[in-house]
Amino acid sequence: VEVTSIGSVRHQSIHILLIEDDGAIADMYRLQLEYDGYQVTIATTGENGFATMAAAHPDIVLLDLLLPDRSGFEIMADLGKEFPNHPPVVILSNYGEPTMIDKGLALGAIEYLVKSRVTPALISQKIPGWIEQAGRGQAEPDD
Amino acid sequence: VILAERIAVNLTALGFLLLGIATAAEWYRHRGRARAMLTLALIFLAVVAIIGRVQDMIGTSTALDALTIVCFLISGFFVLLFRAAFLPLSRPALRAAAAVLVISCVVGVADVTVFANSAQAITSILALELVAAWTIFTGEPIVRFWLDSRNLPSVQKARMRALSFGFTVLLAVVVVSALGGTALQNPAAVIATQLIALAVVPVVYVSFAPPALLRRMWRLGEEVELRRAIQDLVNFSPTRKVLAEKAVGWANRLLGADGAFIVDADGALLASSGIDADGVDRILSAREEQADGAINEDRGAVLVVALHLSDGVGAMGVKGGPFTPLFGSDEINQLEGYAVAVTAGLDRARVTERLAIIEKNKTQFLNLASHELRGPLTVVRGYVSMLEAGLLGPLNDRGRKAAPVMSAKVGEMNALIEQMIEAARLEDGRLMLRPAEADLCHIASAAVDSARVDGMREIVLECPDQPVLVQVDSERVQTILANLLSNAIKYSPNGSPVSCEVTIRGGVARVSVKDSGIGIAKEDLPILFTRFGRVSTPQTVHLPGTGLGLFLARQLARLHGGEITVDSVPERGSTFTLHLPQFAAPTLTG
Repeated sequence: VEVTSIGSVRHQSIHILLIEDDGAIADMYRLQLEYDGYQVTIATTGENGFATMAAAHPDIVLLDLLLPDRSGFEIMADLGKEFPNHPPVVILSNYGEPTMIDKGLALGAIEYLVKSRVTPALISQKIPGWIEQAGRGQAEPDD
Repeated sequence: VILAERIAVNLTALGFLLLGIATAAEWYRHRGRARAMLTLALIFLAVVAIIGRVQDMIGTSTALDALTIVCFLISGFFVLLFRAAFLPLSRPALRAAAAVLVISCVVGVADVTVFANSAQAITSILALELVAAWTIFTGEPIVRFWLDSRNLPSVQKARMRALSFGFTVLLAVVVVSALGGTALQNPAAVIATQLIALAVVPVVYVSFAPPALLRRMWRLGEEVELRRAIQDLVNFSPTRKVLAEKAVGWANRLLGADGAFIVDADGALLASSGIDADGVDRILSAREEQADGAINEDRGAVLVVALHLSDGVGAMGVKGGPFTPLFGSDEINQLEGYAVAVTAGLDRARVTERLAIIEKNKTQFLNLASHELRGPLTVVRGYVSMLEAGLLGPLNDRGRKAAPVMSAKVGEMNALIEQMIEAARLEDGRLMLRPAEADLCHIASAAVDSARVDGMREIVLECPDQPVLVQVDSERVQTILANLLSNAIKYSPNGSPVSCEVTIRGGVARVSVKDSGIGIAKEDLPILFTRFGRVSTPQTVHLPGTGLGLFLARQLARLHGGEITVDSVPERGSTFTLHLPQFAAPTLTG
């Protein structure tokens, strides 16, 4: 299956912030996502992630849970405080415990995926849907 | 009648003399403060009896009368001191008792000297004072012994009660004689009181030196209960510490001892009751000096036996108290028999403890390994999928052949890791089901579809016309079925058909996965569902697998209130059936 360049055109305007400290994983996702035409920024710490959030206003955040400075859950909690209208967050973790998944979703993540269970292509495909879903969710209370 | 009276009086005196000698001999063999007090009390009583006989022979004298009264009072006082030796009295109480003793001695001597020729009334009052003093000295211990005996092991209880009873009778004889006065001086009454007093001798004797037969009889009553309790203790105590703590309690009861302890093979004190660590050290160091098992100690008899544990030799010991029978061969046998049971129990608990640690380590390892494996696997899997998709550049023919194989193998690896994580979760009790109403046919159909693709094999699915409703965690049930299906494909390598049939009958929904593969020998069936249990035969040894699949499948089925059964004939094939309770849907109204 060849990935067409049509996707590239369609996704050009979408900016993804990937908060991930494992370089190999980050590079791999970047390869797929940029191939599909997304604009990707990688942050290797929670602090960098916050800085990028403030400066670049990404459309979606892909968040790892195990980071050198603080946990993804702490970031989720702070995001709610510091950026009330923050973009949708998708947690990508290697922890698949139901309690962790519940906690992530309760903190406001739009999706929680176990990295080893999904391919980069699948994540790439789902991104527009997540953004759309988050937009609907945020629009409703305003109406 | 006079002769009979004389015989009775002499017999009683002889009885008390023998009792005094016997206690003195006992004390000489096993010294102790309490024992010394009792010995002195009985010796003074014997002296009273002997003076009476001497007076009979050489005639009475004032000095002998005074001596009789003083000895009699002192004997009572020593009964009180005996009681204080192991149930301590307060200092003021002891001082008051000593004061009563001194006053009574003065009164007693005055009675036979200054007031010797006074009116009957005065001597009677003085005599009453003496009897009252003796009543206080012995009456308090009598009541205390009786009350305290209630919570004691049967042997100690019997001994304390014997002593209490013996002194009660003596006290009654003394009081009745004093109050009766001349009315009791006829020969028949004298013979009766003397014989009653004589009967006290064996009762008091067994209270401090009961023969083995009597000890065994006393024990008999609680032995059955004791044995059962010891059995429970040895078989079911969760840890060695708990076992040892309970075991010392029972050792005390078993032997009627005052203190017991268990020392581990490394010399550490595992448990003790009624004795402190220093006491144990003293006993053990004294034991090293003496080769024999039973040794004497200043506070009473001690018995120590070896515990031949798997790690080395430990020890169990008991320490006697004032009412412990001195340990004889009967007690040594008892303790040695008990030691065998305790040794077995301690070794069993050690094995259980070690197994628990191994189990925990295994689960932790499984947990860690599987989480750590997910990271690298994510990268490999991601790049392989990109390679396969052509995202990393065009592949040549050989590359295009290799990529799907790599992808399939990485997928297999991923499935195995998921199984390991699920198993670890299950063992930790962290696995939570999310049950919802579902059609078992839908779940089976999804599992069959994905097994068809993965296994590249034709699978026939048969479902009833009506939906088969179950209340399950669909994802988990699909995992179970995927497992059964992949096994069916894996163990029927000849490409023979695999079928999957959903049925419902009698409130039980079933999914049967049938293959015509290599089958399983009957003797191998039990290990199929154990963790890491894999049947290893020349036909299967080359096939990959963790041995977790069926273990997980059965555990998951059981969590749903269901079960997995197997029916297999070697060389003909196997049928694995998942049984699940049917979901009783609430009746719809309207």
